[in-house]
Amino acid sequence: MKNAMMDKSTEFSSTALRTARKLRSARRIQAGRLKWAGMAGLFASAVVFPLAPGVEGWMASEATLIIMYIMAAQGVSILTGYTGLVTVGHGGFLAVGAYASALMTMHLGTDLLTGIIVGGFVAAVIGCALGLVFLRLSGAFMAIGTLGFAFFIGTVVNNVPIFEGREGISLPGNHVLGYEIGDIGFFYVSLATLAITTLFIYCLVRSAVGRAFMALRDSEKAAEASGVNRVFYRTLAFSMSAAVTGIAGVLFAHYVNYVSSEVFADIWYSVDFLVATVVGGSAVLLGPFVGGLFVAFLPTLIEFFVDQPGDLAFIIKGGALIFVLIMAPAGVVEGTVRFFRWITRIRKETAHG
Amino acid sequence: MFGQQLISGLATGSLYALTAVAVVVVFRNTRTINLAQGDFSMIGAFIAVVLIKDLGANYYLALAGAVVGCIGLGILAERLVMRQIADSDWLTLFTATLGIYYILHGVAGYFWGRDTKAFPISFDPTPIEIVGGIISQGHVINMAWAAAIGLVLYVFFKYTKQGIAMRAVTDDPETAELMGIPVRFIVLLTWGMAGFLAAFAGVLIAPIIYVAPEMMDEVLIKGYVAAVFGGLYSIPGAILGALMIGVCENLAGGYLGSHYKTATAFTMIVLLLALRPQGLFGIQKRREV
Repeated sequence: MKNAMMDKSTEFSSTALRTARKLRSARRIQAGRLKWAGMAGLFASAVVFPLAPGVEGWMASEATLIIMYIMAAQGVSILTGYTGLVTVGHGGFLAVGAYASALMTMHLGTDLLTGIIVGGFVAAVIGCALGLVFLRLSGAFMAIGTLGFAFFIGTVVNNVPIFEGREGISLPGNHVLGYEIGDIGFFYVSLATLAITTLFIYCLVRSAVGRAFMALRDSEKAAEASGVNRVFYRTLAFSMSAAVTGIAGVLFAHYVNYVSSEVFADIWYSVDFLVATVVGGSAVLLGPFVGGLFVAFLPTLIEFFVDQPGDLAFIIKGGALIFVLIMAPAGVVEGTVRFFRWITRIRKETAHG
Repeated sequence: MFGQQLISGLATGSLYALTAVAVVVVFRNTRTINLAQGDFSMIGAFIAVVLIKDLGANYYLALAGAVVGCIGLGILAERLVMRQIADSDWLTLFTATLGIYYILHGVAGYFWGRDTKAFPISFDPTPIEIVGGIISQGHVINMAWAAAIGLVLYVFFKYTKQGIAMRAVTDDPETAELMGIPVRFIVLLTWGMAGFLAAFAGVLIAPIIYVAPEMMDEVLIKGYVAAVFGGLYSIPGAILGALMIGVCENLAGGYLGSHYKTATAFTMIVLLLALRPQGLFGIQKRREV
């Protein structure tokens, strides 16, 4: 936005200043519209994706998996990106949501929508409790503490009889409002949920609550001095973040129709979600989308090109991660924006001679 | 029974301490939560295996080879990756070490396979009796090594020029730089030291557990828990934390059942962080991390 006109405007008369301001606000509106158009385009293409020719069932399933990663990363981004509390324990909330819904479905025979609501709610309650326990932690200590939480959930799931441990709980087919849904139907349910969580985060960031979160991130002391209730907003951030990731967990459980400690005690989910948030850009609406794609789709892509998956895929994954971080330490979205701004500036400079 | 659990707990704890100290040293000098620390050890153990099995080296030669390899690895990691993004916030640094973790995991799996192997040299299984408890010779040797390394570190930090410079960088990097301390070199030295400690941690623990790409994952996590006991800042605190974890988890494993071992470490950490966020021996120093 910082164009040559703005820089010089201080020397000119106030009319020039006003024109520059008008131009800037017009550009900002334009950028906002562009963002909306981009989002709408993204979701519209996702809606028609399963109907497109040449797309098979497994592709829709793969897309569903990516959607779940995006949603889980959105949960992490509320806490890590907007509130500044780094979490390596959101795999725990994934498990909480998954098991809450799985147990409901098994014992009460509820459908997917009830599962989503209840799973999100239970995760929010546990997130609230965790937020209160770790009220005084920050930085690296918070990261290690939340990692401990993920291990704790793993141990509970492994050892408490109701969760069936490694045996796992098999779930029946998915029902929504009495109708049975298949892979494609499940994809649409996930997509709709993702749309809701995205809208939720969009509104949250622009609300007073979101501003309080960001104030706490930027400086806890300054925020508290300005009247932000630290305890309340921190705990709220934990609950909201846990709820979004918990809902992703519900979808995950019903996607594979099976929950077991083998899957949900795995610490790597927690790490993957954090990586997704960091790679995409932690405090950008589009960040989790890019990051989720990176984490969930890259292994598939590598397997497609490399004959021997596993080890070589690991090396490529690590190399790609380091490459992205060196090229764009603030995340891919931010990096891309900066890159295009740089291009525009270069072009302008060459145009002016 | 109790005395025996206590001693073998101390022996395991002294191995955790090697990782914990490396974690503290790297964190306080570079703000980096180093997830690749365990994998440095893992590569070191594999180097030792290769030296013993394929080249017929003895235990000490293998250990020396692992030390050289791991120091090189630490320096390489700093030079190629961490220095490029040294100015970023700590979350980016943390994620970058995860990238190193993936690469080292993949490299080990690619060259040596994913299956678990036994370390080619095992200690004499005849136990020794010390103060009423029975302890295996391997544990005694490991404790002796760990104590020796602790002594070396103490001398290094207390009396050598580099060690004092390192402490100065820990306290205040900017002032240290103004006083003429080559901060970049010290950071390089820090990663070299992380490699040095990693080599011992890997080669000493390998005969007790096994050799595989994921052999150090759990040890690393316990090393972090131990480091938090020292507030991620104090080396004696980290060592004490590691010994406590070793003893507590051994007691829990003995009296409650083996699958509560890891859970014990994390119950301890969650309690500690909830009650004393600065760590048990942490200094009340405001650090913006």
